[in-house]
Amino acid sequence: MQREVGTLPLAPALRARLAAAGFQTAQELLDTGPCGLSKEIGISREEALEALQVVRQECHGDAARTAGGSGATRKCTALELLEEEQTQGFIITFCSALDNILGGGVQLTKITEICGAPGVGKTQLCMQLAVDVQIPECFGGVAGEAVFIDTEGSFMVDRVVDIAAACVQHCHLIAEAQEEEDHQKALETFSLENILSHIYYFRCRDYIELLAQVYLLPEFLSEHSKVRLVVIDGIAFPFRHDFEDLSLRTRLLNGLAQQLIIIANDHKSAVVLTNQMTTRIGQSQSTLVPALGESWGHAATVRLIFHWDNNQRLATLYKSPSQKESTIAYHITPHGFRDVQPPAVAHSAEGTGMNPRKRPRTEEEKQ
Amino acid sequence: MVVLRAGLCPGLTEDMIQLLRANGIKTVVDFVSSDLEDVAQKCSLSYKALVAVRRVLLAQFSAFPANGADLYEELKSSTAILPTGSPSLDQLLDSGLYTGEVIELMGAPGSGKTQVCLGIAASVSLGLKQHVLFLDSTGGFTASRLYQMLQAQTEDEEEHLEALQRIQVVRAFSIYELLSALQELRDRLSQQVVSSVGPLKMVVLDSVSAVIYPLLGGKQSEGLALMMQLSRELKTLAREFSLAVVVTNQVTRDSSTGPLKPALGRSWSFVPSTRVLLEGREATGEKATTQRLASLAKSPRQPTGIQVELDIG
Repeated sequence: MQREVGTLPLAPALRARLAAAGFQTAQELLDTGPCGLSKEIGISREEALEALQVVRQECHGDAARTAGGSGATRKCTALELLEEEQTQGFIITFCSALDNILGGGVQLTKITEICGAPGVGKTQLCMQLAVDVQIPECFGGVAGEAVFIDTEGSFMVDRVVDIAAACVQHCHLIAEAQEEEDHQKALETFSLENILSHIYYFRCRDYIELLAQVYLLPEFLSEHSKVRLVVIDGIAFPFRHDFEDLSLRTRLLNGLAQQLIIIANDHKSAVVLTNQMTTRIGQSQSTLVPALGESWGHAATVRLIFHWDNNQRLATLYKSPSQKESTIAYHITPHGFRDVQPPAVAHSAEGTGMNPRKRPRTEEEKQ
Repeated sequence: MVVLRAGLCPGLTEDMIQLLRANGIKTVVDFVSSDLEDVAQKCSLSYKALVAVRRVLLAQFSAFPANGADLYEELKSSTAILPTGSPSLDQLLDSGLYTGEVIELMGAPGSGKTQVCLGIAASVSLGLKQHVLFLDSTGGFTASRLYQMLQAQTEDEEEHLEALQRIQVVRAFSIYELLSALQELRDRLSQQVVSSVGPLKMVVLDSVSAVIYPLLGGKQSEGLALMMQLSRELKTLAREFSLAVVVTNQVTRDSSTGPLKPALGRSWSFVPSTRVLLEGREATGEKATTQRLASLAKSPRQPTGIQVELDIG
């Protein structure tokens, strides 16, 4: 293998010593053997053996890929990818306008980022998605499980119970209307206890715990292969306070983003992140922009920004590889994340449809 | 800095190597730069043998100077210009993508870099019937969007399927995976294995900063070294196999109100020969538009500062 020594994943000190001793290609290393190597560059035999193991693995990986063709990891033609994408499901959000602008719902194998000011509904959407991912396939869902990583402590189980109950009822109504056998069978397993038991909850208190959790996630996912959604609620929170070294922050965030992309791809799951907003003060005006800096903007494949317009909540699709930019309105009801109902419909009995836990922004006149 | 080994050239035996090593001559560079008379005396080897060995080593390891006229002839016969499918972009790039060069597209998130890359890949695969290798490091490659673009260009279903089969996608999410993928490509091309990758003309890397950013900064200089290794791989691939290499890069700001500048710093800025900056809604001041502004930031052929409007819809 003509692979250069500089491109092999070895420790930097070892690489420097190899370069100083005159080794250029991986083949030369393999020819020397562990004893020769330990003598030439002055390391112990065990270290030399380890290094050669790594080199052999890399080179055999290369050789297998050259000879075997498409048996390797992550290599295929665009046609195969298209077929895969067309059979892949989406995670619906129960708000049809939002599903439409996203192209069907939250896409699997991609990272979706939701940014918004406090109280606009990011955690609500995350909880809704954690329930929606479990909808059985005959009702149009992906029948998967969810992992919820919470850094802000905003996950409320009783709220998830409300959302799940509404979802189960919705499915019951569909089953009654259509009366098919597999609907009835699926409904037996789609119950409140089942939904709650398939949401795996992790609480991370600072950035080190978050990083550790994300790096340990592949192992967890290989044991629980039905997971189709990973939610990290509040990726900005641990990184925004108490961080002196900003370049370290950028490095860690970028490493985290790459790790999440690997997880999304290998386990065919959707990754949803929520981000906070910060103010950018310009020449004559100030604008709200997503937090964590410019370089973080490139980490997510799909970016949604939630914002207010008077009393109405709006969602804007800011960045997507396949959909156009657009804005829609949504509502948060006691049943969860929903479309905006037309004003004439009698929902006024339940109040204005706002989540009872979040106070409305302006004082409502009591009549 | 190649280590002297037996069999490197005829006349270089194991005993000779031991004697030379005992006197501190370990690599080819040491041998070639030392005084042979001196060496002959100290190691008690024949002067003639040493001179013969040196001649062979020089022939093997040194670079040969080339004539400018020959170089020009070679360039004329091996360079191709690939039209990108968008006339305004072609105008910006002086009629298209030149093979043998690295072209960089940079822009803020949502400015359309991946869309332009998909558009170029679609047009090269459909219009020119050439193979394209798409290295995806951000997970942003969406085959359905590519299919949409192909459908916009022609109605023929057969051609769509063929064009899709000519685009190969490799997902490499870390720098080492990327380097392995490039190494594998180089092996395949140099062995000229007739496989599903036919006449490859273009390599698209989206994006280079995603894999390098986690390594840069801090006290270790390993990140810079790997970045330079990557740039060397890309440039030699482009030059040796006459490929056009398109790379996408991010932009950063110095402070929260400073101007946008390309990521990866000064060292990377010498690698691409052409740089195009893509700007989105802030420049045009409209909401929800598919228009983007492309400006030429660096080019070996055109004056910089030219701007064109692109439609990525």
